[in-house]
Amino acid sequence: MKGIYRYCVLILLGATLDGRSVGSNPGEPTGSLVRVRTSIQPYDQFRPWQKKSPFGLSGTGVVLPGGKVLVTASLVANRTEVGLEKPGSAQKCAAEVEAIDYEANLALLKPSEAEFLKGFAGVSLGANLKAGDTAEVWQLERNGEMIRNQAEILSAGVGRYPSDEAGFLVYGVRVSLPKRDDSYTLPLMRNGQLSGMMMAYDRDSQEGTAIPVPMIEHFLKDSADGKYEGFPTLGVSWASLRDPNLREEVKAPGSGGILLTRVNPIGTAGRAGLREGDVLLSVDGFKLDEDGNYRDSLYGPTSIGNLVRTRPYVGANAKFRIVRDGTEMEFSGSYDRRARDEVAIPTLQFDMAPRYLILGGLVFQELTGAYLQEWGDKWSERAPQRLVQLFSFQQELKLDPKKKIVFLSQVLPSAMTAGYQHLSGLVLTGCNGKPVGTLEELAAIADGATSGDLVFEFMDDPGKLVLDASEVKSGGDKLGKAYGITSLRRL
Amino acid sequence: MNKGLAIFLFALFGWGFGGCGRDGQLTEAKKNVVMVEVTSQTWDYRLPWNPGTVSSARGAGFVIAGRRILTNAHVVSGARYITVQREADPRKYPAKVKFVAHDCDLAMVEVDDPDFFRGTTALSLGALPELESVVSVYGFPIGGDRLSVTRGVVSRIDYNAYTHSGRESHLAIQIDAAINPGNSGGPVMQADKVVGVAFQGFRGDVAQNVGYMIPTPVIRRFLKDVEDGKYDHYVDIAIRWMTLENPSMRKYLGRPDDGLGVVVTDIFSEGSSDGILQKGDVLLSIDGHPIESDGSVRLQGQPVQLEEIVERKFAGDPVELELWRGGKPIRTTLKLRPAEMFSMYEVLYEPPPRYVLYGGLVFQPLTANLMGVLSGSADLRLRQTYSLFGQDQIYRDTPEPVVLSSVLPDPLNVYLRGLAGQVVREINGKRIRTLTDVEPALREGGNRTVIRFEGDQRPAVLKKTEVDQAMPRIMAQYGISEISRAAVEGRRLAKGSYSRSEGK
Repeated sequence: MKGIYRYCVLILLGATLDGRSVGSNPGEPTGSLVRVRTSIQPYDQFRPWQKKSPFGLSGTGVVLPGGKVLVTASLVANRTEVGLEKPGSAQKCAAEVEAIDYEANLALLKPSEAEFLKGFAGVSLGANLKAGDTAEVWQLERNGEMIRNQAEILSAGVGRYPSDEAGFLVYGVRVSLPKRDDSYTLPLMRNGQLSGMMMAYDRDSQEGTAIPVPMIEHFLKDSADGKYEGFPTLGVSWASLRDPNLREEVKAPGSGGILLTRVNPIGTAGRAGLREGDVLLSVDGFKLDEDGNYRDSLYGPTSIGNLVRTRPYVGANAKFRIVRDGTEMEFSGSYDRRARDEVAIPTLQFDMAPRYLILGGLVFQELTGAYLQEWGDKWSERAPQRLVQLFSFQQELKLDPKKKIVFLSQVLPSAMTAGYQHLSGLVLTGCNGKPVGTLEELAAIADGATSGDLVFEFMDDPGKLVLDASEVKSGGDKLGKAYGITSLRRL
Repeated sequence: MNKGLAIFLFALFGWGFGGCGRDGQLTEAKKNVVMVEVTSQTWDYRLPWNPGTVSSARGAGFVIAGRRILTNAHVVSGARYITVQREADPRKYPAKVKFVAHDCDLAMVEVDDPDFFRGTTALSLGALPELESVVSVYGFPIGGDRLSVTRGVVSRIDYNAYTHSGRESHLAIQIDAAINPGNSGGPVMQADKVVGVAFQGFRGDVAQNVGYMIPTPVIRRFLKDVEDGKYDHYVDIAIRWMTLENPSMRKYLGRPDDGLGVVVTDIFSEGSSDGILQKGDVLLSIDGHPIESDGSVRLQGQPVQLEEIVERKFAGDPVELELWRGGKPIRTTLKLRPAEMFSMYEVLYEPPPRYVLYGGLVFQPLTANLMGVLSGSADLRLRQTYSLFGQDQIYRDTPEPVVLSSVLPDPLNVYLRGLAGQVVREINGKRIRTLTDVEPALREGGNRTVIRFEGDQRPAVLKKTEVDQAMPRIMAQYGISEISRAAVEGRRLAKGSYSRSEGK
């Protein structure tokens, strides 16, 4: 996930002008693009009380009719500040994020001065593109001139997004982009209308990917009522059913259908009544082939991911036709995001300050995907294996989605923690005999104990650690001073 | 022999007096150090039915009493043909491995031809050398064919990893003499005594002038172990413990602030301490040696880790423990056993790789060797099964996880190739706990064989009649002569506590 972000920064964020001027056209529509400059400062997951060094990103936002600005979410992730700048002038204005979806990699910005984009016509959303269509990628010169780069749509299918393991529809785009500032986000245009948002580009192959119209449309419609709900999810794992032996084993009919290998009971499919081992034949009347593709009227065979995540909205009715033990059955339910949102260990953690609690030098945090990613590209090898296991197999391990995984992330050496300083990555199960499922619960136990022992119980070796409750209370200030930590907790 | 004795006496009076001691040492070395030339075969865990690749290498060894030759295990591992040659005799004598101890990287080699020993005097073992004392390393390192000698001082005496086994740590002595390929197995001498066997060093780009030798306590243990005609293995108390330096922890456990004791934090089931120690026990002394709160004990005035007490012992030997449990002191004795549950992490050398072939599906037990060849491509579940096998005591339930290590392409398994690397959970409804479970399970069930994996993978389904038809074709195609090599044969496996609780 992280790799792709970095890729964008490296490839798109070329600050040097290489002198090539491509297709600068005096007759371009005005009032459609605006520079977006953001100041980014991610939290330091290893030192949750502080942030990392800030850096700036700049991209090109698309002004929509109505005066809001569309950018990719990665341009504004972990922002401290977002500013808009009119092309060809020095006029600036702060902006706030009105809606953001890290899965879909889209964000909607609103200028804080209502008048700032007055006179901008804005661009409307165009038609869906398909493979073979031509389009343009627009860039801004320093002087505000527009560069329009001819682009070709190579493919339209379900692919990976930077911050999501599951896929959404994505355009593969061939385009030769000159290096310019403000390239972190660029619009893909056709006939003066918005056809997509470029989100990654590889200068060597001159190919990139763009977020397509249906995604943008879904995002904008969803955010229009001021309450953003996001893209629904089924909450299943599945396998292809091409293998005739496997079809026979699971009593699949003559053709079509996929095998559900795991069904999250709280997800869209699980609540509708689907179970592990079911053969899913169709969704909302769209028949699925053996590889999980449905026939899309525009794109042809397209992965189920588009069918169940981009097409429907949260709250819409869902209809499933399945085969269970050789019998065809129908189930219905409604689309939601619970399988994605109600998890013990969340994947996405942008903009959110990591929660922590320091007790006498023992630093407790709640496990998140963001914490594990802090271990780098090889996080699954380098991070403590227990944490990797709980995160990666949380469904299979049936972790309670209402609880969090509280763990000892590190020990700040002090007189209180003598002999504990080498410990890290230990999952806390309880304290003073009471189970601990959130940092708040741990804080309540610690705050309630004014004297005696604080006995921490862990899932793994060494099993137990003990601190003196009154020392933890009285020694807090000194510890905070010694390590320059202003607050020993963020709950 | 007389001369050897004389030199020994000289040395007693101070071998620093001059060249005499070392001259004598050189004479002795010339008589007893041997060049060991080995042609060996290394199994290929990617193609477990193949006999492996052949390579030749040279190491050193030395003659000790009883016409025995000592060298490193890694010099002779996988040996198919060995010759030894002395400085004084140009002939190469065929030799064979008598005992090999991969865990401490030592081996004993035999030569049948009595002529070989004519003129040898046998080197004897000395004690642990002092820090900063001078030692000489004999061997046949790269750079020439004749006996080489280098000198250095003893830099450090400490526990160190023995890299040959992949997981063991024992006492090792660091010296600043260069140890290069070809030195391995050669004696490190002080006066006329062997004080160690040169065995490992660092690559030149990592560290220089750092060589390691196996000290005589480890060599003596090896020699004693093989007295009964076979080499067993190191034993282990098989617990985890934590230092007891924290005052609040000490108070909680009811221990005075006397700087003694460590707390037991985990006991490996099936290990020496299983059923004897409990989590939370405070270990106060081991065989009468008080345990400091950092886990050290004093041996001859030197602080060493408490495990050192167990290091010299053998399977069945008792260990006396004094411990503190529930506010009361307790004395107990445990009997040492080998720690088979960690054997998965040992690199295997001699035994051929085990496998079962079924319709192009290759099943192999999870071993350090297999992880070695899969490392780049192993998925998270396989890596986790491997890394948590000991910690989570997976061995209790599954002494030997079985992996679908590869799928040899054939029309029969065209839809199954993506399943390579998965951990097998059950076959035809039978739980798979070791490789020996695979073949009987494959014969179970109806006309379809259903193989299920850990996690949310789809099952692999094959028709038995189709598999039977395809097997000769696949075996001919891939040059495989045996359908399986599944017998455990010498591999040390955990017993698997499941057999006690639920039967087999």
